[in-house]
Amino acid sequence: MPETASTVLFLLINGLIWGLIVALIALGLSLIFGVMGIVNMAHGDIYMAGAVIAFYVTSLTGDFWLSLLAVPVIVIILAAPLERFILRPYEGYHSTSMIATVGISFIIQQIALGTYGGIPKKIMNPWPVSFNLLGVDYPGYRLLVGAISLLILSALWLLLYKTSYGIKVRASMQDRDMANAMGINVNQILVTTFVLGGVLAAMGGTLAAPINQVFYLMGNDIVLLCFIVVIVGGLGSLKGTFIAALSLCALEGVMASFLSPIQARAAIFVIMVVVLMRRPQGLFKE
Amino acid sequence: MDVAKTSMDVSPPREKISLPSYFAIFFLSAFFILGFLLPKGAMSLAIQIMIFSILAMAYDVSLGFTNQCSLGHSVFFGGGAYGIVFGILYLKIGVLPSLICSLLFGFVLALVTGVISVRLSEAYFVIMTAIFFAIFHLLAMDMTWLTGGDDGLTMSLAPISLGFAKFSLYDQRTNYFFVFVFLGLSYWVLNRMAQAPLGKVFISIRENEKRACFLGYNIFGYKLAAFVVSGVFSALSGGLYALTLRYSSADFFSFTWSILPVVWCLIGGLGTLAGSWIGVVLMSVFQYYVSAWWTYYLIIFGVIILVILRVSRKGIIGYLAGGR
Amino acid sequence: MADRLLEISGITKRFGGLVALDRVNYAVRSGEVRGIIGPNGAGKTTFFNVITGELKPTSGTIAFRGEDITHLPPHLICQKGLGRTFQLTFVFPEMSVYDCVWVGVNARAKQPWRPFARSGRIQELSEKTLTTCELVGLSDRASELAVNLSYGDQKILEMAMALSTEPSILLLDEPTQGVSPKETENIIGVIENLSKRMTIVLIEHSMDVVLRLCRQITVLSEGRVIAEGPPEQISRNEEVQRIYLGDIL
Repeated sequence: MPETASTVLFLLINGLIWGLIVALIALGLSLIFGVMGIVNMAHGDIYMAGAVIAFYVTSLTGDFWLSLLAVPVIVIILAAPLERFILRPYEGYHSTSMIATVGISFIIQQIALGTYGGIPKKIMNPWPVSFNLLGVDYPGYRLLVGAISLLILSALWLLLYKTSYGIKVRASMQDRDMANAMGINVNQILVTTFVLGGVLAAMGGTLAAPINQVFYLMGNDIVLLCFIVVIVGGLGSLKGTFIAALSLCALEGVMASFLSPIQARAAIFVIMVVVLMRRPQGLFKE
Repeated sequence: MDVAKTSMDVSPPREKISLPSYFAIFFLSAFFILGFLLPKGAMSLAIQIMIFSILAMAYDVSLGFTNQCSLGHSVFFGGGAYGIVFGILYLKIGVLPSLICSLLFGFVLALVTGVISVRLSEAYFVIMTAIFFAIFHLLAMDMTWLTGGDDGLTMSLAPISLGFAKFSLYDQRTNYFFVFVFLGLSYWVLNRMAQAPLGKVFISIRENEKRACFLGYNIFGYKLAAFVVSGVFSALSGGLYALTLRYSSADFFSFTWSILPVVWCLIGGLGTLAGSWIGVVLMSVFQYYVSAWWTYYLIIFGVIILVILRVSRKGIIGYLAGGR
Repeated sequence: MADRLLEISGITKRFGGLVALDRVNYAVRSGEVRGIIGPNGAGKTTFFNVITGELKPTSGTIAFRGEDITHLPPHLICQKGLGRTFQLTFVFPEMSVYDCVWVGVNARAKQPWRPFARSGRIQELSEKTLTTCELVGLSDRASELAVNLSYGDQKILEMAMALSTEPSILLLDEPTQGVSPKETENIIGVIENLSKRMTIVLIEHSMDVVLRLCRQITVLSEGRVIAEGPPEQISRNEEVQRIYLGDIL
């Protein structure tokens, strides 16, 4: 395969896999916003926490894969009281919840800075094999991450569309008062949704950790990207978030083949401006 | 019900001087006096507080007066800072004309981003402004030949000559009062605007946008006007910041400058103009002193934010003035 | 022959598969006091929403003083002279009664966007505001915040706000809904007063109010006009009685 085409293909696959990870995180954000009415500016920091926890688990036990179990457990333990006791009063108030979660973001980041430190560190590649795809050598770990993300996304889809819990969540997303009136225990849905959203973000961080470096500020980039993905996909549309995540990241990947990474990111944002100008409500409206 | 009563029997309710105005007068007087008393280190903090107060006020016009929660104000702040760079380094004009450049940059940036963003409804507006922040920040960091990137560009300033005297901003006290004058002027202008018909229309849009629309107001036009006013004064703040530091960098476009005004306003009180100054003082003093003995002072700050918002969504002054 | 102030021809409004308004024709002459009644979901508020530009009709035209206003944006339609109130009270909560009305009066000023004038000192606007407040009987509460008024008074305030833009025709959407009987009397009094000097169309759920105030009543059901005539005729109309049997009578 000619060199540029293989580079583009490589970056495209990179982008798609990255898009799957972003989809996980963004879906978490979308659920939190849709069900709880919280603009979660700390979402990126939950992603970061997932990566940091993965780092510690890997250093302590030597086994990276253990973190895929440890992270959800730790997040559940921490996120549930966070929602119940701290976030509850801000739910439904967009501007207020935005600032409140900025406050939480400060706290999480500083804790990470104090414990993990300010130096970016790398986690060793847990699966250092590579596969030859269409003439391109592709890292095995990334393919695995893609597969795991797809698995989690499928599980999420099953949860939201094929279980009674999922119906309750989607009902709460559409109309909270109506859901209440129909006897759905909204408080329970609130806690579980926040935990679910947090777990998704943290898992994204864990999976992404060996690919990027683990840095206490790594959440900041992610959170903006996720918000854009949610908005462009269309508020309230989970399908839209998924498609937007994949398309945006794939597009960014391809553009990185002829632009610098910073330029590629900026170009994506410009494209988003244009998309939102033509379709201000996003691509898919629920 | 008889209608014949002449309207001269009753007069319009007197406009009482409100708590925020008292606070503003107190704050400005205090800072005027402090200008003669403060030692060097504290004076530089005080100058910073004054510059940020302009930014906070500017942001209040957007969020507090017309309910437009923009996350893109760093575009105007950074734009204002680079307006100075443009004037001093490229056009090689003086300090005051460069400041006019800053205002112009702010005006154009706010107009362009506003025309695209203002028509969008709440959440979409926030994201669109955030996208603009990201675009400008990324471009500023990338185009180092123009902006100096993260390292930034330093400038040397010629003395300002006003015919009767020359002032050099290198003298800290001069710098202080230079900024003070602009703070006072900005407050005066924005306060007049708040009490004028324009300001009242802004508030009515915030209170009930649909109702205002059905009274015959072109909502888009007014919201855009508020956004542009907000942008211009944000740029003024950025310009003053660049002048004080004699430096500007791509960092002035970073998210910090977009989120700090929101925090200042929400802590101090929305729609009060001067209330946001409390937020500025709290955060700046905190950062300056607490960071000295605990590096992780932001944790305390995060907790303070949560507590304040828990007690009153309208911030401190808003709460005291009788809101909730 | 009295001029046709507002002329609605063949208005249809579809929401996907649902037909909210079905080829509605409606004409109001200057000076009339008209009522629109109908069961819940009949399309009454949708009708107002289409007239005032909040919704665009799927087909049909609306003419005001002979001018086609069908596709104008709401704020321009209001400027042409249509004022309206909403079902849920729509005031400016954190503004005083005086200021609420003032904002409406200011909308008609030559330069509503003046950035430096002191609002309180613009003589013409102050006078008009006070006059309007008196007209509805709220002068004694002019300094109170709108949010602190009783529900009934808020509805009156909203009427004052709609009035303040000096409309030629006032559209009132259920002005007595959710209001105590005593306050209803108050509101009826205000509307009676207003009806001497302007054209009014009011939507009401309560037959009582409409029978008292209106000289001509239109009955909407499922998006269609099923009857139109003076109060005595309507109250004796069998189809109307049948439709309302479950509802009010």
